[in-house]
Amino acid sequence: MSKRAPGRLSALAAACFAVMSLPVAGFAQEPGLTDKTIKIGMFAPLSGPNMAYGFDVANAARMYYDKINKEGGINGRKIEVVLEDDRCNANDLVAAVKKLVERDQVFLLNGGSCSAAVVAAKDYVVRSKIPLIMLNASGDGALYPPTDYIFGAFSISQYAVGGAIVDFAAKTLGAKKIAYINHDDAYGVWNLEGSKADAEAHKVDLQVESISPTITDVTAPFFKLRAVNPDALAIVTYARPAALLIKKAYELGFNKPIILSVAGTANLSQLAENVGSKDALKNFYVQDVLADLPGGPKIKWVYDMYKEAYPDLAAKPDHPQAYMPYGIPSAMSIVNALKDAGPQPTREKVLEALKKQHFDSGVMAGPVVFGPQERAANKSTIFIKFDGTNQVLQPGVYTSRWQFKG
Amino acid sequence: MDLQLALLFLQQGVASGLVVGSVYALLALAIVIIFRTSEVPNFAQGEMLMAAGYVALYLFVFRAMPVWAAIPMTIVVAFAGAALFRRVVLTQVAHASGSPVNLVIATLGLSYVLKGLVRQTGFGDTPRSFPALVSTDSIMIGQASVTRLDLAILGTAVIVMAAFFWMFGYTKLGRAMRSVGMNPKAAQLVGVNLNRIHTTIWGLSGAISAIAALLISPKLLMTADMGSVVTLGFAAAIVGGFASLPGAVVGGFIIGIVEQLVGLFVSSRAITLAPFLAIMLVLILRPQGLFGGRVVIKKV
Amino acid sequence: MRILGLLAALAGLIVLPLVSTGYVVYLANLLLTFTVLCLGMHIVIGEAGQFSLAQAAFFGIGIYTSGLANTAFGWPFPLSVLASGLVAALVGLCIGTLALRMRDIYLALATFAFGEAMQWVFLSWTSVTGGPNGLRIPPATLFGLEIVSDRQAYPVVLAITLLMIWATVLIARSRLGRAFRAVRESEVAALAMGVPVRTTKLVAFALSAFFAGVAGAMFAIYSTYIHPDSLGFQTTILVLTMVVVGGLGSISGAIGGAIVFGLISELLRQAPSYQEIIYGLILIIFMMFAPRGLFAFIGDNLKRFARA
Repeated sequence: MSKRAPGRLSALAAACFAVMSLPVAGFAQEPGLTDKTIKIGMFAPLSGPNMAYGFDVANAARMYYDKINKEGGINGRKIEVVLEDDRCNANDLVAAVKKLVERDQVFLLNGGSCSAAVVAAKDYVVRSKIPLIMLNASGDGALYPPTDYIFGAFSISQYAVGGAIVDFAAKTLGAKKIAYINHDDAYGVWNLEGSKADAEAHKVDLQVESISPTITDVTAPFFKLRAVNPDALAIVTYARPAALLIKKAYELGFNKPIILSVAGTANLSQLAENVGSKDALKNFYVQDVLADLPGGPKIKWVYDMYKEAYPDLAAKPDHPQAYMPYGIPSAMSIVNALKDAGPQPTREKVLEALKKQHFDSGVMAGPVVFGPQERAANKSTIFIKFDGTNQVLQPGVYTSRWQFKG
Repeated sequence: MDLQLALLFLQQGVASGLVVGSVYALLALAIVIIFRTSEVPNFAQGEMLMAAGYVALYLFVFRAMPVWAAIPMTIVVAFAGAALFRRVVLTQVAHASGSPVNLVIATLGLSYVLKGLVRQTGFGDTPRSFPALVSTDSIMIGQASVTRLDLAILGTAVIVMAAFFWMFGYTKLGRAMRSVGMNPKAAQLVGVNLNRIHTTIWGLSGAISAIAALLISPKLLMTADMGSVVTLGFAAAIVGGFASLPGAVVGGFIIGIVEQLVGLFVSSRAITLAPFLAIMLVLILRPQGLFGGRVVIKKV
Repeated sequence: MRILGLLAALAGLIVLPLVSTGYVVYLANLLLTFTVLCLGMHIVIGEAGQFSLAQAAFFGIGIYTSGLANTAFGWPFPLSVLASGLVAALVGLCIGTLALRMRDIYLALATFAFGEAMQWVFLSWTSVTGGPNGLRIPPATLFGLEIVSDRQAYPVVLAITLLMIWATVLIARSRLGRAFRAVRESEVAALAMGVPVRTTKLVAFALSAFFAGVAGAMFAIYSTYIHPDSLGFQTTILVLTMVVVGGLGSISGAIGGAIVFGLISELLRQAPSYQEIIYGLILIIFMMFAPRGLFAFIGDNLKRFARA
């Protein structure tokens, strides 16, 4: 190794930085705003293992912005999108956010599909006073306690997910003792907190096992739960462990109702194949947060719009990805708030307008409701009885009794 | 916990542990044969398994190929792919530097490439499975409940391992492989073609991974990230002594059973921790692993 | 020539925050942190020839120690930087005592298992690490001033990095450095020359943990949040990759690897769908054709070019 290397090397690095740091254009009024355009900074996992959580969600938001642009924009301004890959990783996400804010000078941020990673940007966003409207991340960790700048849970608040399941099991299935299996990650913690609130209200005995999302064999947790002789099994996990648990339950002749949370329901027909036998789904309910059964008439327009906007992607297997529709209510909130903020919007005006949003997206089970102290958009879930082929919507909309206590 | 329940848990833990353990054992075997002959822990072993699984899925589900054709074809593809990587890439890496770290990083590179390729197909996100070849009806053994599929997995794994041991112990090829593992220079002197042996070993390791993939998919479901299961194969190999083939097999069963017992008697949360605690415990008490020989200080 | 190059680089690094956006300064902070992590890895693998696959765990220990020192004890950060390094070194010493009875692959595997176990501890020890919710890191304070932006943190991070580079150079040139290399080349020969092999290895191991701990404290200065997800094997492997691609065994290789690889990773963001494939191919091609690292490769080719 040449002895001169360190010098040359650092000079090279410095030069690289200098090039990367050239600021892009000046700004007139508020950053990201001209008379003709509004710049929105989007970020989502566009690569790697977590791509399924956000790639198509971002696409959905983008196609909605395109639609608004085609209709003439917002108060004469067209929406410009800058999209960054956040890899669902805290360091990369923060870098993406800083790039969008400081280099691209966006007006507001619309991004985040992974809760743990998006929470990492919280301090920076609040300190820089930039509106952050999440994509589909629940991000409860950044929503409670409420700040003036961060809005999210357009898919659903994880507290509501957990609470609603217990509410459904107790109210509709009459369960008094519920075997409950969740993950040992942030979602799991939030889910369980919501569940506990509703279990207390219904005087339900909640027997909890927490597992890692990477678990290979679910025999042990299932055996422990079966041993307590529950009235129902609530599976509050991701798709893979969920399918394994349902399969295991069937193999061992477990015949009590099984309820699967929304995080595990990405692809129901694949789930039916993965559990091996339709009989495994004899007494099976899934939670959902969309307004209709996937592909049902109420939300067909979203899927049609996707096919038109991304014909190449739509031709690929497994596309649109399951969470795609969640991007719509997120983009709708932004568009509505921008409209409400009037012809001369500022970040502060948009934030005020966001806090007053209360509308039905037509996509989700419940309306988007923000308020002076409310930053989680959706808290409503529905339940579907699924027997491997047919989906039957159960009456009623369920939510959690959980309340944030300062 | 009352005694009766504890007994039930114990029986079930051992039975289920043996089943998953048999697959870990296969993986450990695939890792150890490569390590014994080339001193490289193959970081792409898990992705080789994953990729082989997706080849099988493609043949089975999307080409609707019959089982008797799809399984051999998957194994052949895995053998060829792994052998090719050894022949084309690792030969050059070894030639260029010879440092084992470089070989490790090259295998790491392969793992990223394979994951990226599978994700490109669009099939990598949703967990998938093949149609079960064996029924999943339960059978009681003592108080433990296992499925026919479980027994088939255990049986197949044991047969594959036995066949491999026979090959390694009693055939000319096997003897050549062992000699390369013990002293490559001497092996070369007596006329063993080192390159061919290395290539064959990688191919075999790929083939074993493919079999492991076929066996574990119904237990694990397939995603582009299923390769991480190989961590447990590594754990098994370490517990067994890393250079010992019987050790790898015993290690696999130990890790499988420990996982189950920790899950049943300690906490479900601790299942992921169990293999690493087992590794540390074994290494503290018996640094060379259960079946490893003496710790040898390397000569100059 | 050499002095001039170094001065130019230093000047560039110093004016960087004046001419660039906060995003670039954040990246610079991150890369400098990884530089220190790489230096730690360099000491244990490059100098002493011992495998350690627990860098991310020591990094995490540093971050949490520093966070705790800030919140619970309200220490000024120079003290918490030192504490982070020392706590990590202490843990490294304990693990090293157990693990260094083994060599090569066994040491690598033992440290790997330790790293994985530590990640589990980070995820489970909720009262200290926030568990799965992650931990909000309060701003560090210096002379009563709170450091809240990347720009404010940068001079401090840069100063620590330079200090650690200087320390690495000193170590390499000292008796200890010679002992490290003797052990790397041949333990038997080292023993024959009177080098206490075990102690030397242990010192290398603890020093590398110390570096990782300090890197953790650096991270805590400009970062406001840490989640156990970022402290897994992936991070260790990233550091190892940086060191090897930069050029195993040379300080400039470790530094250059950290910076170049960090920039590559940031640039790859522009090609999301092929990212993993490209990343993997870069690793493979490097190992095939530039085994002694990027800088040796460039140097060799420059020489060849000059001769032609």
